[in-house]
Amino acid sequence: MFTLLKLELEKLFRAKSFYLSFLVLIAFVALMLWGFYTYAARKTGGAAVEQFKYTYESKQYFNGLTFSLYSLLFSFTLLLPIFVSMTAGSQIAGEARAGTLRMICTRPISRASLILSKFLVTGLHAGLLMTFFIGLNLIVGLIFVGWGNLELYPGPLNLVDSPGKIMRDDALLRFGYAAMSGTWALLVIAAVALLCSVVFDSPVQAIVMTIAAYLTLYIVGRIEFFEHLRPYFFTTDMDFWRDVFKPVIPWQSLWHYACVCGAYTTGFLLTTIIVFERKDIVT
Amino acid sequence: MWVKLVLLVLFGLMILGAVHFVRPRESKEPSSPAIIVHSLRLLTWNIGYAELEDDTRAHDKDLPAVAEVIMRQDPDAVALQELTGGSQLNILLDLLHGKYHGAVAQQGRGDRFEAVLVKDASATFMPVAVGARYAVAASFKPRKDTHEVLLLSAHADAFSAARRRTYTEALIDWAQARARSSEVFIAGDFNFELKAANETNLYTDNLKHDSESYSHILRQFRDLGREAGDTAINDRRIDYIFGPTALEQIGRVTVLRNAAVGRMDHWPLFVEVSY
Repeated sequence: MFTLLKLELEKLFRAKSFYLSFLVLIAFVALMLWGFYTYAARKTGGAAVEQFKYTYESKQYFNGLTFSLYSLLFSFTLLLPIFVSMTAGSQIAGEARAGTLRMICTRPISRASLILSKFLVTGLHAGLLMTFFIGLNLIVGLIFVGWGNLELYPGPLNLVDSPGKIMRDDALLRFGYAAMSGTWALLVIAAVALLCSVVFDSPVQAIVMTIAAYLTLYIVGRIEFFEHLRPYFFTTDMDFWRDVFKPVIPWQSLWHYACVCGAYTTGFLLTTIIVFERKDIVT
Repeated sequence: MWVKLVLLVLFGLMILGAVHFVRPRESKEPSSPAIIVHSLRLLTWNIGYAELEDDTRAHDKDLPAVAEVIMRQDPDAVALQELTGGSQLNILLDLLHGKYHGAVAQQGRGDRFEAVLVKDASATFMPVAVGARYAVAASFKPRKDTHEVLLLSAHADAFSAARRRTYTEALIDWAQARARSSEVFIAGDFNFELKAANETNLYTDNLKHDSESYSHILRQFRDLGREAGDTAINDRRIDYIFGPTALEQIGRVTVLRNAAVGRMDHWPLFVEVSY
């Protein structure tokens, strides 16, 4: 198992897509910084101040922690799932496309161990992406935007019902929690992508199917027509990771959804193993 | 085989964990404490109709039902929105058998009026100019030995979050100036759309305007109906009663979801407080 893991890790670190994912995240942070800067400048002066007498969007509000929170919440919905899908979706289907899957399966290792090692490597990639992205945002936020407390208001980001505040040191700890809860939520996508990777022989097909399933459920869950279906989508349960940014963390609810996500992950993983063990590998 | 077994055990543990940490049920009914407080009872209700109707203002035929709800709940003061004018208020006052006194707001640009009703016969009513709109306030004493209370009946724009924000700012300025001499309560339909989960965009100016408005009110006042849930169809909580932050106790807080008649799209919000 450890040899398998070592081999899979080597493959991950050699893949260009691994480094591409980090580069895209850096570009996204740069884009967010530009957007945040210009938005903050507009909202703390000029017409915005003339039109409205009162605003919470003061210079104190626009700090590095607010920047990091917005950047993280915006990217988690769309950007990070894509990279996780890319890595997981190409795990088995990529080997099949490269013609190496048959050779791997002739080695004296169980197919279950192979799937598990590939999943663990994908999980590691998801964790690295989350940690890197959070760390980068905090560093960029600290250098370019400044430091302060994390102020939260009802409405945008949908985190609180009434205005709240998280003190700087506590907020930094919350970002640490977010790295863990976010990675755990992304594992659901990784498991779905791995299943697609086993079902489809083309990595592109596996990745596209995973992203399509994710986006479909995410968008359908946002349309009021299907409000009653929303609780049954894994995309709804994945949202639990954001709860660590509430002034008082709802631990019971957080553990509940973390377990639901864990059940999805292990359930999809079991299905993947069962399908893969019965698969006739002809490539 | 061991991999599958481990995963199966993990799967079972996750299911058990999810059941153990089951999400607390979101009660449709308010989680009111058992304490019954009789100091002050307030009710707010937009008695207009849903947008699909030809005339979305209050309908005369519904007034007996409105009066019945008021008589049954027996509030000290009532804030109403979307009346057609003074004549409709007079019909309602007649239906209340002289138990309440009231006034409607002056006509602004719109075709509908806010109104306020109070039991106290010595109450005084005052128009409140808020930009291009008018609200109405009543100053009264719920009981002889209590402080003076000021209830403001308000209705913010339904279609523009920026206009709601400007309206709220002016309204709070007015209320804040009077909060030194009276206990000020603001009740009405503010149309704030604060459920970001219902928005298809991640971040919109409209959402932020409503967030700014609501947060601005909460700097000076307390949202008394927060726990009572939605006040209008389509899962919207858009009717509010804001009160002083230093209230002694909050008693019954409830949305009367069976009260709407005809094509009304709002339900009355009732709060009971001591101050």
